[in-house]
Amino acid sequence: MGTVSRGAPSRGGSLAAERRQAYLLVAPAVAVLAAVALYPIGAALWLSLHRHIVVFHERSFLGFANYRFLLADARFWSALGHTAYFTVVAVSAELALGLPLALILHEARRGRGLLRALVLIPWAIPTVVAAKLWAWLLNPSYGLINRLLGGADINWLGHPVLALHTAIVVDAWKTTPFVAILLLAGLQGIPEDIYRAARVDGASSFRIFRSITLPLLRPALALALLFRTLDALRVFDAIYVLTEGGPANTTETLSLYAYKTLMRAGDFGYGATLSVVTFLCVALAAAALVRGLGRGWEEAR
Amino acid sequence: MLALLSAACQRGHSPGERARLVFKYQPLWGDPAPLREHLARFAAENPDLDLRVETLPNSTDLIHQFFLTALEGGDDSFDVLVADVTWIPEFARAGWIADLSDGFPPDGLRAAFLPGPTDAVVLGGRTFAVPWYVDVGLLYVRTDLTPRAPRTYDELRSFARAAMERHPSLAGYLWQGRQYEGLSCNVYEAIWGHGGQAPEVGRRILLDTAAARTGLLYLHDLIASGISPPLVTSAAEEETRRVFQDGRAVFMRNWPYAWAELQAAGSPVRGRVGIAPLPSLSGQPGPGTLGGWQLAVNAHAPPERRRAAARLIAHLTSPEANLLMALAYGRNPARRATYADARLRAQAPMIADLAPLVEHARPRPVTPYYQLFTDLLQGEFSAAISGIRTPEQALARAQRQVDRLIGWAP
Repeated sequence: MGTVSRGAPSRGGSLAAERRQAYLLVAPAVAVLAAVALYPIGAALWLSLHRHIVVFHERSFLGFANYRFLLADARFWSALGHTAYFTVVAVSAELALGLPLALILHEARRGRGLLRALVLIPWAIPTVVAAKLWAWLLNPSYGLINRLLGGADINWLGHPVLALHTAIVVDAWKTTPFVAILLLAGLQGIPEDIYRAARVDGASSFRIFRSITLPLLRPALALALLFRTLDALRVFDAIYVLTEGGPANTTETLSLYAYKTLMRAGDFGYGATLSVVTFLCVALAAAALVRGLGRGWEEAR
Repeated sequence: MLALLSAACQRGHSPGERARLVFKYQPLWGDPAPLREHLARFAAENPDLDLRVETLPNSTDLIHQFFLTALEGGDDSFDVLVADVTWIPEFARAGWIADLSDGFPPDGLRAAFLPGPTDAVVLGGRTFAVPWYVDVGLLYVRTDLTPRAPRTYDELRSFARAAMERHPSLAGYLWQGRQYEGLSCNVYEAIWGHGGQAPEVGRRILLDTAAARTGLLYLHDLIASGISPPLVTSAAEEETRRVFQDGRAVFMRNWPYAWAELQAAGSPVRGRVGIAPLPSLSGQPGPGTLGGWQLAVNAHAPPERRRAAARLIAHLTSPEANLLMALAYGRNPARRATYADARLRAQAPMIADLAPLVEHARPRPVTPYYQLFTDLLQGEFSAAISGIRTPEQALARAQRQVDRLIGWAP
């Protein structure tokens, strides 16, 4: 496009020269990306093919033995299961709650700025602080939540089934505002005259929402879905603070398992294997989402 | 970013002729002045040294992570470092901390310091660290609700039940059952209290023993029978301390730090709390888990700085320093003689009363593999106490995983 807009007669030589120049211009950015993104990924991949336990200064090449062990590692599979479950439930809840919230924020006439600021508070609190706050609220013996439930004796974070769901609630509380703000931006991008035309045609509110708002909001919804899914798949801090993976690893996610293996145990080889697999899961999910959503965008147009 | 870089560059050059000596430790609660003055005396006696202190994050996990990456990377920017009691074999095996046997011969250490911490820092007849202060698991008792401190597990259960019948809102016995290192401490105490060794460290690390099964079953049954409330499965130290301090429990297992809080002005249980050794099956005082911090020397530091570092450690672990740490910071002395010191008896009688408890405090398994397997164990311990798996199943799973890890190692 550059050649055309310049209006110069397009000759083979100058095109090649221009392409060279383009490569030169992007080279620094590519080099930086390679240094900070590709090199660590490659290094982790290489490390995952080794048995490397720092304390013992052991570093021996194993090939794919770590990966074979991973396939039989019950703790890995349960961590993968928890991660997938957490992601699906948390992201669904955040979208389901974020959309109405965005609509309310969009429609609100009075106190709009204040309302938006209030909604953003959970998102603005650092995750670790928010999780610690929730841990105290959820404390079975003197937490506010049980007191509000009339002195119920519910061990939110100590019960094997409840704990993961409690973590999902905390995550939804924390990130629903983020989804809502993304969707609000999408809502504000929809031109007002379409709504006016629909109202002139006598369309009901529900019909307007279904036929105008929702389809035109699709790109924003897709973006929110993509961001939140990738974040949720890597969830670490909230769960680390709330339960450290307990009880009995029932809230352990892939990142948490990888962290414990790397930094507590010092088993760098297997820890790297877990990190690589986590990365692959996230990359696969991203690719699938981008593909699926890309198709959605085409249709929406 | 640039400012950081230039600061880092400047740090490399020592100002003037004086050698820089860096002491890296975690923050101690309380007024920093007494420790600062103590360090200033060392600086005054060693004018050739430029003594610096650098603080670490206030989280054992993060400190371990820091040392793991820094020492593995050959970092020599600090000389004296603190280490948790379970890290010494690991750091020594990795060659990250220097052999201190010349300045602190094992025999001398054994004569002056408590047996538990000495066992934790003397490995294969060589000294790798010097105990700084110690911690021990113990039992807190509500003296107004019980006839006396329970000696056996049966007494613990029956005293608790009797008090709970009189006051139905009371919890019986609080301890730390969240999936973390504190749970391991509680489980080891239960195993020792049943006469077991836990885990047995030989060529194979043996976890799945009869005593271990009994210990786990005892903890599980405390919850199942209602003596311990369900909240213990998610509780760490502070969660239990707060419930106990509110006057809502009869017994609590915790570390000595809780004493000052429980007896503080305004505490609902002030004056109604006593301490005792943990109960056991036989009625002999049950050993508490040894905790606490040690001082070691970074093996990457050059020899002359290592010698200066050893002098600083001697200064920080002297009898006078032990007393200072106890009086100013409530840290329990690692030196036996300090417990008999008249000043300690007068000003911190509770710490002096800990003498028989710290004497019998037991280290967790002293092995370089400790960090490698403790995380595996915590998951299984947690499963056993909360009833997700039976103790047999949980220990068998833990044993398989540990065998896999250790079986690989030499």
